[in-house]
Amino acid sequence: MSGIQRIKRWAGLGIATGALVAAGMSPAMAAEVNIGFTGPLSGGAALYGQNALEGLKMAAAEINAGGGIKVDGKAYDINLVSLDDQYAPSRAAVNGKRLVQQYNAPAVFTPHSGGTFALQAFNERDRFLVMSYTSIPEVTSKGNKLTVKIPPNFTDYVAPFAKLTMERFGPKLAIANATHDYAKYWTKAFVPAWKKAGGEIVADNPMDYNKSADFYTGVSKVLAADPDVLFIGGASEPTGLVVRQARELGFEGGFVIMDQAKVSEVARVAGGMAALEGAVGVAPLSHLDTPGAKSFIKLYAKDHDNVPTAETAYNYFAMFLLARAMESAGTVTDVADIRAAIPQALKQVDTTHNPFAVTSMTDDGNLAIDVRIAEVTDGKVDILQRSDMDLD
Amino acid sequence: MEALLQQLLNGLTLGSIYGLVALGLTLVYGILHVPNFAHGALYMVGAYVAYYVAGELGASYWLAMIAAAVIVAGLAVACERLVFHPLRNAPPIHDKIAAIGLLLFFEAVVQMYWGADFRRLEAPSNTIFHFAGLTLPAQRMLIIVAAFSLMGGLHLYLKKTLAGSTIIAMAQNREGAFLVGINANRVAMMTFAISGALAAVASTLFAPINLVYPAMGHLVLLKAFVIIILGGMGSIPGAIVGGLIIGFAEALGGFYISGDYKDVIAFALLVAILSIKPTGLFSQGVR
Repeated sequence: MSGIQRIKRWAGLGIATGALVAAGMSPAMAAEVNIGFTGPLSGGAALYGQNALEGLKMAAAEINAGGGIKVDGKAYDINLVSLDDQYAPSRAAVNGKRLVQQYNAPAVFTPHSGGTFALQAFNERDRFLVMSYTSIPEVTSKGNKLTVKIPPNFTDYVAPFAKLTMERFGPKLAIANATHDYAKYWTKAFVPAWKKAGGEIVADNPMDYNKSADFYTGVSKVLAADPDVLFIGGASEPTGLVVRQARELGFEGGFVIMDQAKVSEVARVAGGMAALEGAVGVAPLSHLDTPGAKSFIKLYAKDHDNVPTAETAYNYFAMFLLARAMESAGTVTDVADIRAAIPQALKQVDTTHNPFAVTSMTDDGNLAIDVRIAEVTDGKVDILQRSDMDLD
Repeated sequence: MEALLQQLLNGLTLGSIYGLVALGLTLVYGILHVPNFAHGALYMVGAYVAYYVAGELGASYWLAMIAAAVIVAGLAVACERLVFHPLRNAPPIHDKIAAIGLLLFFEAVVQMYWGADFRRLEAPSNTIFHFAGLTLPAQRMLIIVAAFSLMGGLHLYLKKTLAGSTIIAMAQNREGAFLVGINANRVAMMTFAISGALAAVASTLFAPINLVYPAMGHLVLLKAFVIIILGGMGSIPGAIVGGLIIGFAEALGGFYISGDYKDVIAFALLVAILSIKPTGLFSQGVR
């Protein structure tokens, strides 16, 4: 019996604490706007989620230090509410509901496509803006009216990647990327592009990058087909292991690296840039020459001892964009007005807050840029603009 | 032929690691009588200790391995003393819950301190041996040699020393062991220490060809569970043979059939073996 009584006492205490917290929150801090985040903060993809969140935190801190979001002469501080979904769309949906109902968040950031689709199922009805850090075209092309897609479509990279590696190494491609949904989207887009450019697929053996203890078996299977180019990618570090093991097993061709992996981080695990010779991937932030990228890297270095990633930089920018859109729209609650004000707000975001120099948005909510491609040549990263390449 | 040999080598590497982790798990099963879910966390902590000692303090790989083994053995003993020992008269479900709690606790502490970043432990040698068309990096060779030496050493310890035979006695019959005057506390602590040290050595061996991150224990733990069920709960030869079976199944299945199915193959094998021998391959308890 005493056990049950103890539980009751604890439960009572819990309710009392909850009530105190709730009472403390509502009236006293009226000039605050809650911005939601749902992403993987624990589990295998925790690093990715935390990198994305870090960008939002940095921006929120900077905006609050500068007096907050000014709407109609009233200043609102940003209160970032982050919830962990461990990369699961179902949890992202639950988190989204919570963020809207409990915290009245007008916007929810999420760094994955599964979470985005889950939130899009009810965001128009529940009135909140989905700020999606994912590069799948379907996120915006399906016509959700309250979505902003932060990075460019991954399909922008497909043709340049195929062209660069095929010209340098040859037409035989082996597929050895990861098995999650995003990797499958990539495969679906990349294979037709490769074939269209005159290549062939000699082996197709995707591997679970997060659940494989070892890649030797999978990599040796695709290498047995004697490919010229390996199509790889998942999270950066496992991708690095795949590169490393492919080189150990004697592979001398090139790599097409899906945009989820960052060339510089892949190189760290793979055994230096030399191991990545002939690889093409997304240009790392550290190699961009925009003023925004430079100032962001400097800002990031102040209280971090590692190199910032694109997801941190993009989310940093997106928070500023959202804040400026609220100011332009003159509201922190009317999400349709905020969404409508984003093209206007793009002009008001300071260049130092815009590392990727985003200047325009399509009507369906895609923030488009001229994508930059990184190619490893002679152990160095060369940056190419898509618009400079001769693609048909 | 070359491809087959290469896959056998891969299977042997994987099987050695799985076997080492499963060995620790199966030993502790003899004491707790429930699977110790915290074992995966001990494996992970072992890799972090080695990473800290070799990567951040700059000591040699071997020193890092010893430090990892000692510290994780100590940690395992602390778990036994502070958590499992007080629960010895509670129903088994309490042990299970406590073990899961420990797993989450260790993961959270490591992530708090080191963050969720992937880290790399450098191998002591990056030499790659090539012979007869086969590729075998030195680290993989080391894994195989070290794992089998440890298994042999453990076997000798359990069979030939008095301290070792008390562990076996406890696992076989707790009351009988008490009757002949075996100190249960000492045996429990010793068993946990050995299992922790094995987990730490396994992760230190495997880390240079893989990555170090807070969730790294899950995958290996899941495999180790399958292995001890396959080999027979509490059986030492079962853990070794089971580890090799799963390792070979993954390597050969992944190469000749499909990478998508390699886990399916391992689990299908489990179902097949259990339907013939429902208690596992070697099921008479620790021998």
